[in-house]
Amino acid sequence: MTYGFLVRRGFVGAALASGLLLGADGLAQTPVKPGDTYRIYVANEYNADITVIDTATDTVIGAIPISGRPGLVRPRGMALSPDGTVVYVSVSDFHPEFEVPEDKIVAIDTRTNTVLQEFRAGGNPERVAISPDGKQVWASLEAIAHGGGYDIATGTQFVQFRVGIEAEGVAVSPDGKWVYVTAEATHTTTVYDVENKRILKHVLVGNRPRCVAFSLDGTRAYVSAEIGGTISIIDVTRNHTVVANVNLGLDSRPVELVVDPAGKYLYVAGGGTSAIYVIDLATNRIAHIIKERMGRRPWGVTITPDGKKVYTANGLSDSVSVIDPECMCVVKNISVGRGAHSVQVGVVPARG
Amino acid sequence: MRLSFAALAVVLGAMLMPAAAQEIPMFGHPVRIGVLLPEEKPAAGPLWAEIVKSAREGLVATEEDFVFNAELVGMDFKAIAESPVGGDLIAAAQKLLDQGAFAIMGGYTNVEARTLGVWAEQKGIPFVNLGATADSLRNDQCSATTFHLSPSAAMYIDSIVGWYVRSGLRQWYFVVEDSEEGRAQYERMRWSMQERHFGAREVGRMNLAPGRAGGANLANAVRRANADVVVLLQGATDQLTALKDLEAGGVPATVQVTGFPHLEAQLRQFYRQSRAAAPNLGTGHRAAAWEASIDAYGAREYNARYRERWGVPMETPAWAIYHGMRILYEAAFFTGGKTDPKSVMRYIMDPGSVFDLHKGVGTSFRPWDRQERQSLYLIKVNTPARATNLLNEALLVGELPAIYMPGTNLVERLDQIGDLANRSRCRKPTPLR
Repeated sequence: MTYGFLVRRGFVGAALASGLLLGADGLAQTPVKPGDTYRIYVANEYNADITVIDTATDTVIGAIPISGRPGLVRPRGMALSPDGTVVYVSVSDFHPEFEVPEDKIVAIDTRTNTVLQEFRAGGNPERVAISPDGKQVWASLEAIAHGGGYDIATGTQFVQFRVGIEAEGVAVSPDGKWVYVTAEATHTTTVYDVENKRILKHVLVGNRPRCVAFSLDGTRAYVSAEIGGTISIIDVTRNHTVVANVNLGLDSRPVELVVDPAGKYLYVAGGGTSAIYVIDLATNRIAHIIKERMGRRPWGVTITPDGKKVYTANGLSDSVSVIDPECMCVVKNISVGRGAHSVQVGVVPARG
Repeated sequence: MRLSFAALAVVLGAMLMPAAAQEIPMFGHPVRIGVLLPEEKPAAGPLWAEIVKSAREGLVATEEDFVFNAELVGMDFKAIAESPVGGDLIAAAQKLLDQGAFAIMGGYTNVEARTLGVWAEQKGIPFVNLGATADSLRNDQCSATTFHLSPSAAMYIDSIVGWYVRSGLRQWYFVVEDSEEGRAQYERMRWSMQERHFGAREVGRMNLAPGRAGGANLANAVRRANADVVVLLQGATDQLTALKDLEAGGVPATVQVTGFPHLEAQLRQFYRQSRAAAPNLGTGHRAAAWEASIDAYGAREYNARYRERWGVPMETPAWAIYHGMRILYEAAFFTGGKTDPKSVMRYIMDPGSVFDLHKGVGTSFRPWDRQERQSLYLIKVNTPARATNLLNEALLVGELPAIYMPGTNLVERLDQIGDLANRSRCRKPTPLR
């Protein structure tokens, strides 16, 4: 399926990132090359489309329709292929009690901004994550309390495993060994052992866990708890045990989180306070709270591979805020579609 | 496949995967929570029957969810339930204790909650009040081991007064049940108008004994008073009678009529009867603890699971059973299975404990009266054209207070409704040591 799309090439000079980068929900990316350009993809929950932003100018360059039924079909969580050239979007409808054809995962090619592929993913898929080898997509299936694994080459589901009620966040560890799935109503993060194809354990985390992201080296996982207002830090190497909690405040209602390319900071979208909490990962303390000029109810947050810009998806102001990590301040707000839910940064590889 | 409360029960066996069982924390003993269901009383009328039905269905759905949750972490959990027979609440509650319940929940009327609160305090066990609103239960008659999930009368009243005053309605007429509770609600409403929401004034009042109708006199009095809002501080059935009298007596449709949201008066059947009794005046706004059409904060999925399970919207009694269970369950769940009364009460009252009522923010209990903080909902009874099915009997209009107010203190925000510590007459601290 191909959608019409206005493409305008942008350019970001000297966009280099060293080492692995972890995106929202734990996506591992390979380093980008000089000349690569970036685009921001924003899932608009109530618009049934994806807004595309050129990071060179921070302007909207188009929108990719996901469904002809805006307000009824909703794109939500997104993830990137390891090379950043494919954006995967989880799509469902607003009636979790009914099974609908729109329960699916949609793959978008960042080079052409066209839909490459669709996977059937029954059970109200809310968020997705990609394996480090780029061969598998994992989804949280919210309505049926499952995690699901899908083979990208065939588009078929190869495993489905039970997690807690209202499955939400999902992430794959950088070594590909573990899939973490959070469950909002059960306060758990389920650890799935990919190699041995089994549930390893269910970890108690904060109240109403939303998203999860791994550290660059994969030894830590960070789980946001929306009602608890906390980030649970799980030591992956110590039998997936919570070793610390960072308290952001009851009102913070954290959702998505992303580790910066240097591994220094964790950026957390504070939906309740319209703020971005920046946690220093060396101390596990809040280093900055970015509020000034922030859009309302940020749920999504991502960072460019060069670490120079942070983007948030703001659901109540239908906007994206652009943050400069140098000043830890908002430098621009961009209008997008209704109900901006999640945001990811895609890579357009340099030619040649 | 969709997850339903029924499907959860079926799949529980599959949850007991050996691999998982080796890794999850162990809870050393069975965890049992006692639920007192409302007694079936045919003479009590159709609204009470709806409460019984909602509570029973809510219990099934609740247990399926929480057994599922418990299995994840290897907890041997069960909800045990009893219904009183012949009004003997204590016998039913004692049965729950005898079966191993570490705490009980119930209380669908003020009398029930009072009786159970006294009994629970004597036994030293936690009791969660699900449906009793009386402020006296939070003040002079407070019980040291009672935790109020049910919003208090003061919370409802502050919400109603705040809403109508902000809507510009200034001339208030009261219909007051001639009872201790009716008078208390009236006095609290007067206080709210004088101290919290300035600008409105009382233009008339009629006191009516329970079961007695005001008839044409009521309608005439309201019209003569030039009231723009009428508040019915009566029982649910009497509110319906008053609505009928007001409409029949020619009170203009521009007059807003609302009533105290007793548990019976938060049911969709009540909304339906309200519209039938008074097609114009009976389609006004009402306050409620829960609304089945809430579409945010995870409530969409929660409401949808219930609708799929039972084919009907989740009403307030079912919601209360779920969250009463959640309070007690999490006291055990987050403490590795500690169920001795003091540990449970310590967890509930710990300022760091957070409870998710599916209302979008973490809530806590007020230390002075053990009332759970929470937002309430404002609904509008739908007109016949819109009320195409049971879910559409009501339209969600607002949230009181609004929870999304960045830059303000969450606890202070929620404490905008209800009684603060300086008004509390409860002198019984929670026995935590």
